[in-house]
Amino acid sequence: MICHEKLTSKQLFAFALSFKSARIFLASVMLIWLGSQTSFAGTSQIDDANKLVTQMMVDVESILAQDINDDLARRENVSALFDRYFDLPTIAKFSAGPYWRAADADQKTAYETAIRDVIIGTVVRNFDQLSGLKFTATDSQAKGTQLVLVNGTFTDNKQQQPPIVVGWRVITADNASPRILDVEIENISMLVTQKQENIAIIRKNEGKFSALIDAMNQRSQSNN
Amino acid sequence: MAHKEMTMSSIPIVGRWPLWRGGFAVLLFGMLAACSSTPEAKRSDFRDSYENTNRKIFAFNMGVDSYVLEPVADGYRSNVPDAGRRAIDNHLDWAGLPSTALNSTIQGDLENAALATIHFAINGLTLGFADLTENPGAVEKRDFGQTLARANVPEGDYLMVPLLGAHSGRNLAGRVVDSLTNPLSFFQAGNVGSTMRTAQIPARAVAFRANNFDTINDIKYNSIDSYARTRSLYYQMRAGALRDRQNNDQAPSATDDQFDAFFDEPAK
Repeated sequence: MICHEKLTSKQLFAFALSFKSARIFLASVMLIWLGSQTSFAGTSQIDDANKLVTQMMVDVESILAQDINDDLARRENVSALFDRYFDLPTIAKFSAGPYWRAADADQKTAYETAIRDVIIGTVVRNFDQLSGLKFTATDSQAKGTQLVLVNGTFTDNKQQQPPIVVGWRVITADNASPRILDVEIENISMLVTQKQENIAIIRKNEGKFSALIDAMNQRSQSNN
Repeated sequence: MAHKEMTMSSIPIVGRWPLWRGGFAVLLFGMLAACSSTPEAKRSDFRDSYENTNRKIFAFNMGVDSYVLEPVADGYRSNVPDAGRRAIDNHLDWAGLPSTALNSTIQGDLENAALATIHFAINGLTLGFADLTENPGAVEKRDFGQTLARANVPEGDYLMVPLLGAHSGRNLAGRVVDSLTNPLSFFQAGNVGSTMRTAQIPARAVAFRANNFDTINDIKYNSIDSYARTRSLYYQMRAGALRDRQNNDQAPSATDDQFDAFFDEPAK
């Protein structure tokens, strides 16, 4: 005869409690594990971003050391640097603002070329200002799941200028190598500035994206 | 007993100067009130209600820059030795310390207020021309525009002010208040102090232009829409100044919001 022992309400409660405790324990373990995974991914992203910025600054210093004030050579070096370290497609998309969606494929391609020329032109014109400055990374922080902000300062080797606070916004997507999206100088984002200027130009031209591309091309030609 | 006739020149400068500044601000607000606002659909930025008028004033300011400020700043950079320029920068910074101390106190940042007061007292021995403190960068600049922002006073319209440049309505009002705390205001008319205080205005403009010579020239000559670029830089600069960098360094900035919105939207 099988004796079915009847569970008392006390035993049932204890069983339910132990089950609940087990669930809480399990949930806690999972949360801790997930948390550790997230922070691990964050740390890895930050490391990747730091390495990228450090490597780029080594390259910049090397270019500055060889710089002979030749505009053509400088443009070649800066172009190579830009293509290696910066994320042109995302820069283009971000800086066009809401007008990117309305642009056709040809306009998007033309705009990518135009914005690349504008950025490289700006860096080439101001390249002298980097001379005599030393970059030191101070701290880095994840900004959401895809971006890392690498903060640092440019200090004047001769100590005649106050330090300049700089932040490099790096895209660290899972399956792609990290790329720089933006540079912030003293809290001023170069990409946001470019975007707001671009939007102003398009709005002044009744929403025509092509007007921005034409204006950029004209400006690049007159600057070269 | 003969009563001395009160003329403008006999009013102590400490009383006359704020009136002049206040009158200037009232005049500006009056000018802007007289201007018709730009319809929202025609604005290149929704915050810029007076864009058409602002662009005209910007063109005027650029003209003044081309004919006066840029050549003077260029000469200043070329002819005044680094040490002399640093002394002038130090003095101009020193003149802003009472305003920083006052605004830090109102904002509840007593540490910064104390630092500003100590720096002001120590460097006052040289009228601020030499920095005698150990850490010149320790004091964080604070102005009345920030104080108003912390009191949730609305930012107001974007205003391009003749000769003074870009301001929000709130920041322009703050600037008037800050000018009252200039330490040299306490000198009587005709004294060396009052002459120096008067000279501070153009000196500040020239020093700022010289210290940012290449950057401003790049905006002026190489951007497609230098007005829009200046407006963007102004708003970002003010947003940066409004962040409490000591306590909220990790807090998201206005720039962070733009990137968050960008990555949140569906890819296309």
